[in-house]
Amino acid sequence: MSEALLEGLVLVLQWKALAFMMLGIVLGFWVGLLPGLGGATTLALMLPFIYNMQPVEAFAFLLGMHAVTATTGDITSVLFGVPGEAASAATILDGHAMAKNGEAGRALGAVLASSLVGALVGAAALALAVPVVRPLVLTFGSPELFMLAIVGLAFIASLSSHGGRGLVRGFLAGLLGLLVSTVGQDPQAGVARYTFDSLYLWQGLDLVPILVGIFAIPEIIELAARGTSIAGSLPAGRISRGALEGVKDTFRHFWLTIRCSLIGTFIGIMPGLGGSVAQWMAYGHAAQSARTAEERKRFGAGDVRGVLGPGAANNSKEGGSLIPTVAFGVPGSTAMAILLGGFVLLGLVPGPDMLSKHLSVTYSMVWTIVLANVVTVVVCFLFLDQLARLTGVRGSILIPLILVLVFVGSYTSNNHYGDMVATLAFGAIGYLMVLAGWPRAPFVLGLVLGKIAENYLYISIARYEAAWLTRPVVLVLIVIAIAVIIYPLFQARRKAAHA
Amino acid sequence: MKCKLMSLGLAALLPLAAAAQPNFSGKTVTIIVGYKAGGGYDATARLLARHLPKHIPGKPTVIVQNMPGANSIIAANHIYNVAKPDGLTIGTFNRNLPIAQLTKVEGVKFDITKFQWVGSAANESTILAIRTDLPYKTFDELRKAKQTVVIGSTGPGANTHDFPLLLKELLGLNFKIVSGYSSSADIMLAVERKEVDGRAGSYTSLRPFIDRGLVRPIVRARSTEPGIDKLPADEDAAPNARAKAIMALRSAPEQVARPYVLPPATPAEIVKVMRDAFAKAIQDPELDAEGKKAKLDLEYLPGDQAQKILVQVLQQPQDIVAEFSKYIKFGE
Repeated sequence: MSEALLEGLVLVLQWKALAFMMLGIVLGFWVGLLPGLGGATTLALMLPFIYNMQPVEAFAFLLGMHAVTATTGDITSVLFGVPGEAASAATILDGHAMAKNGEAGRALGAVLASSLVGALVGAAALALAVPVVRPLVLTFGSPELFMLAIVGLAFIASLSSHGGRGLVRGFLAGLLGLLVSTVGQDPQAGVARYTFDSLYLWQGLDLVPILVGIFAIPEIIELAARGTSIAGSLPAGRISRGALEGVKDTFRHFWLTIRCSLIGTFIGIMPGLGGSVAQWMAYGHAAQSARTAEERKRFGAGDVRGVLGPGAANNSKEGGSLIPTVAFGVPGSTAMAILLGGFVLLGLVPGPDMLSKHLSVTYSMVWTIVLANVVTVVVCFLFLDQLARLTGVRGSILIPLILVLVFVGSYTSNNHYGDMVATLAFGAIGYLMVLAGWPRAPFVLGLVLGKIAENYLYISIARYEAAWLTRPVVLVLIVIAIAVIIYPLFQARRKAAHA
Repeated sequence: MKCKLMSLGLAALLPLAAAAQPNFSGKTVTIIVGYKAGGGYDATARLLARHLPKHIPGKPTVIVQNMPGANSIIAANHIYNVAKPDGLTIGTFNRNLPIAQLTKVEGVKFDITKFQWVGSAANESTILAIRTDLPYKTFDELRKAKQTVVIGSTGPGANTHDFPLLLKELLGLNFKIVSGYSSSADIMLAVERKEVDGRAGSYTSLRPFIDRGLVRPIVRARSTEPGIDKLPADEDAAPNARAKAIMALRSAPEQVARPYVLPPATPAEIVKVMRDAFAKAIQDPELDAEGKKAKLDLEYLPGDQAQKILVQVLQQPQDIVAEFSKYIKFGE
């Protein structure tokens, strides 16, 4: 195995593969920074270019590009509060809050360092898990996937503010998210739900216009109302300092970063959960680490742990989602489904062969993820000062630029004016939620988990009737879900007893 | 009304356009795909876009634009009502749009038979395959199955759903159809963990799993290709003419699986140029080599023949349509 590992590295380090990887990184860098245009779409557009490449070169190109989008997507999220990628929206909550507190440098340092840790954990998982992945994936049938979605929804408890009122608001926001996820033709009876005779709504609402609207529009309104720069009136010199502090934060909370990386990897491995779930579960887990009510209040107001969690998870999920793609030919996310097309083009058959005959190709993918992320993070650190200073630019100059990015970004999801309407509508909802002090994270969690929960519940009952409830893994997951919900209450009680 | 006026107006311009020999030199032809980037319709369009230019007079640039939404209805409406009939806009969309028109789906603002048909770039053969460890080896054995056979599907309107549904409803197969899987790859995984016993789908997508010995092909629909032509067809087992007509109706669009159309008022010269270009491009050995790599088997069906098939679909008697709509919903 170690021989194949080394062979994989040698393959990636050949000048042609390396050159293609660099090209991929440059492309992925911009795709990640720009909101809307996502990694998956770009993979589809780049696929025709690999016809004449060797497998290792092609994967160095495609994966190199895809691996960095989540990292640079986080940068846009932190700086402007606009999600650079659908998978980097959770970084906004605390990352952008830090930028507004004048800690853009520290937030960027933290997000980059945690992204690197996450990518390395994901790559290590890909290298190590390959032999044991089959039984793991096959253990998780539809009932188990449904329960995983429920565990995800249970994290709403830790994403809401303390007290009964906070919990009620959190779960109501989650329900609204679930409701929005039902828009469109349902997959069981083919009935059109909440489409109001609009063709645009027929296939449901896209994640990107909603995320961009609900997070970016309130920030833009606030920035316009304040009339200052993002970081207020702080001097530019102070803003860009602290990148090293962010790196130190990653190591200060190293176990949290590792745990969130593992969550990301696990969600990535499970086909059918989708790429945007991992970050929110990781954020929920990071929020659990708050020990006191005061600490809890800092989440959403600029706690660095809220940056580290999603920063790590949205990178580690890539290695994770490659696992079922390579081992079964079953993609773990949309991007991987397109990458699978790449396998076919190159004449590779995903499955057992990739773990024996083509093992060095598989390991070259591991190395591509590692190298691409190292290169990106190093390059980003070189420009970090300039990037962070953007938060010191006057709002009146910045706002038009951000608005263009916001609307062009959401328009790329369907090339339909409905995308803009959705962005504005959810922007209004997001603004109202902020004004009234309702948390937005549970809404998004409900939104990304709604379809998954609905479909797998339907399949579980149609296939097993009530018997699915007695499956051992389901029972374990039920216990975990309950634990996740009562943990914050338990914490609050313990705190009260101490006081 | 507005669209009628518009096409009348455009018809008046026809003689002008007809006078000049079509030459696309320096122009850009856009292929509008009714889906997002990444799927089969998109991949086919992108493959064609790479090879069409050299077969069109004047060697124009050919680009692909995605216009997703409402299972392609948005794209079809656009090409029918908005796109200029100058040959610079070609549309490709959901093969099941004739079914949407037939079952009077709301939002359809086109008559599928009135497009200027360039043709179809491929056909698709739907088969049903079940796990090899089940005791049923043939269609006859499966028909006599005592135990319920669980079939996974992605949802109504997809061939993973509609094909087994008609087998169940019209031929009485002992099926339980479980829908809601997010893709056919997901159903395959459910087959591996024995959550479901089998699935329907295109032969191309099932072939690797048949070769691997995971599933066995049992029955196919009308449209066929080498490798599955010996399988029994669902229509041959139909108990009456009515059931046969309904099964034939479901499978008809599969012969026009990758439809390519021009706006209705496009002049005949331009239509001819495009039909010739498609025919030549699809026979082009370079395209063939790339298509083989990408597992896209292209086969040209000329526009007039495609149109004939669809006219037949839409000429069904009311009672057949009524019964068909009981089972089949437009989707995907």
